[in-house]
Amino acid sequence: MFRLAYPLDNRRFVGLIFLAPALLYIVLLVGFPFLLAIAFGFSDVTVGNTDLNFVGLRNYLAVWENDIFRQVFETTIRFTLISQVFILIFANILAIIFTQNFTGKWFARFIFILPWATPVSLAMIGWLWMLDTKYSPIDYLLLQTGFLGPNGILSNNRNLFWLATPDLSQISVIFVQVWRMTPLATVILMAGLSSIPTDILDQAEVDGARFMRALLQIKLPLILPIMVIALLFSMITMFGDMTVVYVLTRGGPVDYTRVLGLYSFQVGIEGGNLAQGAAISLFAFPLLLAMAIFMLRTASRAEVQ
Amino acid sequence: MSIVQINDLKKYFNDVRAVDGVDLAIDQGEFLVILGPSGCGKTTLMRMIAGLEKPTAGTIQIGGEDVTELPPRKRGVSMVFQSYALYPHMNVFNNIAFPLRAQRRELKFDKRQMREKVVHTSRLLEIDMLLDRRPRQLSGGQRQRVAIARAMVTQPAVLLLDEPLSNLDAKLRANARDELRDFQRSSNITAVFVTHDQIEAMGLGDRIVVMSEGKIQQIGSPQRIYDDPANEFVATFLGSPSMNILSANGFRFGFRPEHFLPKTLHDSPKNSRIFHYYVKRVEYLGSDRLVYGYVHGHEDDLTLAKVPSNVRASLDIEGDYEFAVHYSDIKFFDQDSGRRIEQQNLAKVL
Repeated sequence: MFRLAYPLDNRRFVGLIFLAPALLYIVLLVGFPFLLAIAFGFSDVTVGNTDLNFVGLRNYLAVWENDIFRQVFETTIRFTLISQVFILIFANILAIIFTQNFTGKWFARFIFILPWATPVSLAMIGWLWMLDTKYSPIDYLLLQTGFLGPNGILSNNRNLFWLATPDLSQISVIFVQVWRMTPLATVILMAGLSSIPTDILDQAEVDGARFMRALLQIKLPLILPIMVIALLFSMITMFGDMTVVYVLTRGGPVDYTRVLGLYSFQVGIEGGNLAQGAAISLFAFPLLLAMAIFMLRTASRAEVQ
Repeated sequence: MSIVQINDLKKYFNDVRAVDGVDLAIDQGEFLVILGPSGCGKTTLMRMIAGLEKPTAGTIQIGGEDVTELPPRKRGVSMVFQSYALYPHMNVFNNIAFPLRAQRRELKFDKRQMREKVVHTSRLLEIDMLLDRRPRQLSGGQRQRVAIARAMVTQPAVLLLDEPLSNLDAKLRANARDELRDFQRSSNITAVFVTHDQIEAMGLGDRIVVMSEGKIQQIGSPQRIYDDPANEFVATFLGSPSMNILSANGFRFGFRPEHFLPKTLHDSPKNSRIFHYYVKRVEYLGSDRLVYGYVHGHEDDLTLAKVPSNVRASLDIEGDYEFAVHYSDIKFFDQDSGRRIEQQNLAKVL
């Protein structure tokens, strides 16, 4: 006799239902654009002429011989590495602070997470004001305290031109990136710190370890794998990011803050040369892939138990 | 001479009185077991001795010095946790050396001496061939030894053990219990051992502290607390199956299942109280027969008898029998407070 089985009793069917959203996301929003970018990178497509003609490695060779690209590539790596150092330091300190007990902890955590929770472009408009060439509140404070203005300690000018001088513009961009990325790394590290069994921390205390010894010899080694994951997240996010510089500097002054994501966007979308734009952004791919593999391996090797 | 002196120690977590006025003196070289059901405050008490928990009130002295306000490292105590809490990223040598390095300033020794201490302690516990291993490469029993070695390497005044045997399988546990006791005796260290397992407590302790609801119910040798319980809680907490408790006029009385035997087995029936016993069910446990039934006049309370298997007397289900308990094996308790009451006159009342 035929009996209709509940479709939800079928494990394969249920599994498929649960997988479907993730699969759809990956195929439509990650896989398809990625393959399209590769296809573009080997073609001569432009905004004006959307025919795909295979041109081999021409785009990549052209990009590689382009001096601006080399500088952009170097800037991207430099920004990413420098900001990761600060992100790691700050995230560790903050994660340790936020896992202690103190009054107002929840409020402090909430305030602190805001930079990450705010949409990037919105936050960047805020920073655009903060770092404004003429009306920067930071400059105003420095002016009032005698660091700026006539006979000022830092400069005789009334402004520092945060986004307009070669050095300061780079420092500003890195600072804003650190400000934006530290919360995520902190949250990941906090999760790591609170996953350390209390027994182990109690044991360290009874064994006579003071704060620094417990931190350096017990806590940090135990969250090392998680630290690597946090680093990986923020590096990859930062390496491909274009929003921050797009809003703050458009890559200027000259090319000092032009990074890979922005350059690719400017050449491919604003300049209309889709093929070149795709080739530029694809240069990041093998580098990020190698980085991801290396770090995940390190993490799983260091993993405890 | 007592090495640890605890006076009126209290620990309240908001409204919960985890430890509620404990007085305790622990003697040098003794093996003291703190026994109680989970949530009785035994672990909190131990954590306060270790310095991991700050008392709400009361004082703790170790070696004559008031350590109530001192951090763990200044107390001369060490601890073995139930999970062993080995540092997973360090090898056995570094695990054992950790307290030495951490207390370098207090203990004063050089690198060579440190090495010697680690090797010496690991030899004592027969783990000297494991010094290069990581904790995850060790068996449960080996991990436990490493944890004990790490606790012993600083030669602490008091060794605190929080259920360190409960993670071992049953076969290893009996062996580990034996070794732990030998080791404690030969090193003459003062050990405080927390457990909820009465067999462990009876087997290990020079003295047992029975705790319940944050208070000490009784302190005494294993035999003392078993044979001479101070109150109904202690009487029923120890022993398996637990003591039968029945109500009489204005008081309660109890006797252990192994003392409740067919009348014919008692050599002097006139020193025994005879009960009419209705047998409901019999379990054959190999060495004993466990009998479930009702004593005449106390049909609300299931009463158990534990009859050794070598007693051939037939015990049939739904049969009525005459069972007896020696008067000296009957304990009397106050109906309201549960405290023991003296029994001479009450024996006649039954």
